Amino acid sequence: MIEMQGISRIYTREDGTPVPALRDVSFSIGRGEFVTVRGASGSGKSSLLNIIGCLDTPTAGIYRLDGEDVSGYDDEQRSTIRCRKIGFVFQSFNLLPRTTAVENVEIPALYVGGRVDRDRALDILGRVGLAERAGHFVSELSGGEQQRVAIARALMNDAPLLLADEPTGNLDSAAGESIMRLLADLHREGRTIVLVTHDDSVAAWAQRELLIRDGVIASDRQLPPLHGRAASVAAGA
Amino acid sequence: MNLTKTAKLALLSLSRNRLRSFLMMLGVTVGIASLTALASVGEATKQETMRRFKRMLGTFDMVIIEPGGASTRGMPSLATVEPVLKFADAAAIAAEIPAVRQVSEMQFALDLDVKYRDKTTSPSVIGVAANYTAVRGEELAAGSDITPEDVASLARVALIGADVVTDLFPDQNPIGQTLRIADVPFQIKGILESRGVGPGGASMDNTILIPVTTASKRLFNRDYLTAVIAQLEDPTRAASAIADISALLRERHGIIPPAEDDFRVSSPEAQVMQITEVSSTLSKVLVGVAVIATLIGGTVIMSLMLIAVSERRREIGIRRAVGANRRDIMVQFLIEAAVVALAGGIVGVLIGVGTTLVITMLSDLAPAIMWTAVGGSVLLSVAIGLVFGLQPAWRAANIDPIEALRS
Repeated sequence: MIEMQGISRIYTREDGTPVPALRDVSFSIGRGEFVTVRGASGSGKSSLLNIIGCLDTPTAGIYRLDGEDVSGYDDEQRSTIRCRKIGFVFQSFNLLPRTTAVENVEIPALYVGGRVDRDRALDILGRVGLAERAGHFVSELSGGEQQRVAIARALMNDAPLLLADEPTGNLDSAAGESIMRLLADLHREGRTIVLVTHDDSVAAWAQRELLIRDGVIASDRQLPPLHGRAASVAAGA
Repeated sequence: MNLTKTAKLALLSLSRNRLRSFLMMLGVTVGIASLTALASVGEATKQETMRRFKRMLGTFDMVIIEPGGASTRGMPSLATVEPVLKFADAAAIAAEIPAVRQVSEMQFALDLDVKYRDKTTSPSVIGVAANYTAVRGEELAAGSDITPEDVASLARVALIGADVVTDLFPDQNPIGQTLRIADVPFQIKGILESRGVGPGGASMDNTILIPVTTASKRLFNRDYLTAVIAQLEDPTRAASAIADISALLRERHGIIPPAEDDFRVSSPEAQVMQITEVSSTLSKVLVGVAVIATLIGGTVIMSLMLIAVSERRREIGIRRAVGANRRDIMVQFLIEAAVVALAGGIVGVLIGVGTTLVITMLSDLAPAIMWTAVGGSVLLSVAIGLVFGLQPAWRAANIDPIEALRS
């Protein structure tokens, strides 16, 4: 699904000094994997996530997404890729204010051809357990509900890749766990999930962990199925 | 992203931010309302001026020859004009200028006492030829017209205007009655159709028409004319007719240029055009002011949109993240600007049309809504939205989604 070969991202300060955020990073993530990316702030993990999400382009190296070399894509091409292949889930939900849940879910459909399918948006809201909250304004929803709307939005165009950046960071532990359970369900359906988090108990839901330090991959390891995770999956099942 | 979706999106966004949308509309509304009202009232005034002149002059297919050089001012009457324009001049014009179909001689006098029994009034008394009403396209309300026989026989007959009827014959039929003009008795033959007010606002019905020969020999004892109306075969060729008539009169009066003419030949249509031109220049200036006001409304849209763009950075970042490209964002903001300006423009047109109807009603003008101004206003408001929305939309489109999502 994701193939990175020698990816570097170098920012330039106003005085012209180059600041490398990623240095010669290579790894790949297979279709259907659930990977957590971890690292201290300033380690380069945000830069990596921006490149994976096609919001940014690498300074050097080749990035293949779903077999397609997207490293040289211009803004319009990257917009199309984001639209069709990538679903973002943010820490702060990033829903449009003064807009209903279902309208938020529909937004990605505005940017592909054809008409906006309200029934599909309502279906997806039903899947994340918000069928009867569809007409509510975002401000009337709890944090956990808002994050569910954000996940529904990420699913609207049936994106195969979900990028979740601290999805539970603004939630209490119960809401956070139910969000993680939802992501785990989506993973089981075959979606590839890349999750950025500081929280060990959240990271534990993943199968694999990439640790970034000073712009390079410091470790890449498979995670064992944790007791907590196994237990909560069992409890949920 | 297609246009219908974008338009829906824009409407949704505008309706969710009512106060901002309202303020954005307001600037355009004020400008367009004044634009529509000023253009329409200006047009109504112009049409009314034209109508009044037409009423005064009858028809436009003529030129008017008056005695006195170019520097002569004021209404020519027997008391003020130079005694240079004679009956023979009129006859020569009719005979020798092929472009002239017929001429109509006039003697005009003001402030003559006209009496019927114990009532007195002082209308304008005009000596006219038998073809006068035909040349000027006037109608009789009752009775019969002055005939060529009346003119030939110096008959003491008169046609009276509606004001004279009101003043002297409030409750009887004037036809057949005898009134006295400067103590000379005249029998009333007919009553003129009312013509209302002239361009200066004075009544045009306070007149008495008598045969011009009677006027000349029996009443005024003057052998010169205050005006000759020459009806043209082809009204579009007034300029060449004026030149021919001028040449003939110079020859007859023995005037050799550069000596000044002792007469004037003018086309009423050209004069009316000149007068209405002045008032329409004024209304053009006012319309220009209204256009500037509308442009200021555009800058209001621009500044409010620039604020909106920075307030909506996050929204822009979200849209970009889920797949909107720069053009999508640009189009969205442009359409919002165009829609809000169009809405403001439509409200402005409604207010402007309403204002016009009120103003024309209050000032007795026939309401003339200038549909070109209405259509132009609507187009102008959309154009203003697009032009002044361009910069904010461009700024919105170029917001870095990474930055916008981080904030």
